[in-house]
Amino acid sequence: MLQLKNLLLRNRFSVLLATLTVYLLVLVVEGAITGREARVVDFENPFFDLTMRDFQDFRDARIEDNESDFSSADPDVL
Amino acid sequence: MNSLALNQFLALLYREVLENRNLFIGAPAVLAVLLFVFTAWIVSMAPEQELATAIEYLSVIFDGLSPVDMASIFMIPAIPFMMMLYFCGLIYLLNALYQDRKDMSVFFWQSMPVSNAKTVLSKVVTIGLVAPVFYVAILFVVYLIAVLWLTLLGFSYGVQVAGLGYMFLAAVASLALVYLSAFVTSLWLLPSVGWLLLFSAFAKRTPILWAAGVFILIGFLEDFIFGSQYLANWVESRSNPNQYFIYEFSDVTDRLLSYDMLFGVLVGSILLIGAIFMRRFID
Repeated sequence: MLQLKNLLLRNRFSVLLATLTVYLLVLVVEGAITGREARVVDFENPFFDLTMRDFQDFRDARIEDNESDFSSADPDVL
Repeated sequence: MNSLALNQFLALLYREVLENRNLFIGAPAVLAVLLFVFTAWIVSMAPEQELATAIEYLSVIFDGLSPVDMASIFMIPAIPFMMMLYFCGLIYLLNALYQDRKDMSVFFWQSMPVSNAKTVLSKVVTIGLVAPVFYVAILFVVYLIAVLWLTLLGFSYGVQVAGLGYMFLAAVASLALVYLSAFVTSLWLLPSVGWLLLFSAFAKRTPILWAAGVFILIGFLEDFIFGSQYLANWVESRSNPNQYFIYEFSDVTDRLLSYDMLFGVLVGSILLIGAIFMRRFID
């Protein structure tokens, strides 16, 4: 016990680390018990699901649209 | 607590007031003068007839009504003073355990028979109980001058001003709400108070950067490593002023004895204990 006390009170950084560890532990345990949910930095949106596959589909769709536009266009204009 | 310990603690509070009189007395006094000059400028530009009507209207509104019931209206003019108190409190807490280390006076104070716990506790009591007294006193002077001014104007315009007495009583009753709000705020924000005092005792220079930087870093690391946001969510859940502003006297016990308040005091106490141990390192 004395060794632990000496270790924690060795210098200012060990005191800071010990204090912040206890602080965060209490916060996390209480948050887990009471079921607090993250709300601040939550970018999930059911109406806008952004994935790289969407970009690929979007690119494919654009290419298909362009091809269909060119195929239906008047060759004289081209 | 025996009388010697009580006198020591009172001396510590007196020291805090003396060393920070600019924050606790000067700042609200300057704000009061600025508001008074601004109001006088507005009133000087208004037509006399409209002024007379406004004074009569104020007198009629408050006439015969209970000052305690009408006190919450006067929380609105107190808002600039509350904001000033929070701003000055932030500056005070960041410098509270840093300034005396910076100017080396900490060696003198530590030679006194006063423990680190008492020193840190005196800072908390100063910001929670002592500083609001000065803000409330200056608000009282502002309200007194304003009512006297309105009364004289009312007399000069030949308007009934009996209701202004009730208005003044409501303003005085609101001072109790302002003081209670400041006290409840200091308890509600005790985790922030503890955090600022911890880094005030820790930092060798720029405590504000340490306090803000470590908070952002821990929040980022928590999200990055564990994928959780308990810290950010904790702060977000306690940052609404409606949670600690007192608008009615009946709200006080509900606010003081709520679970969130008591848990906040527990978490703040952890940080304050850290600040007390941190006070050992004064190199």
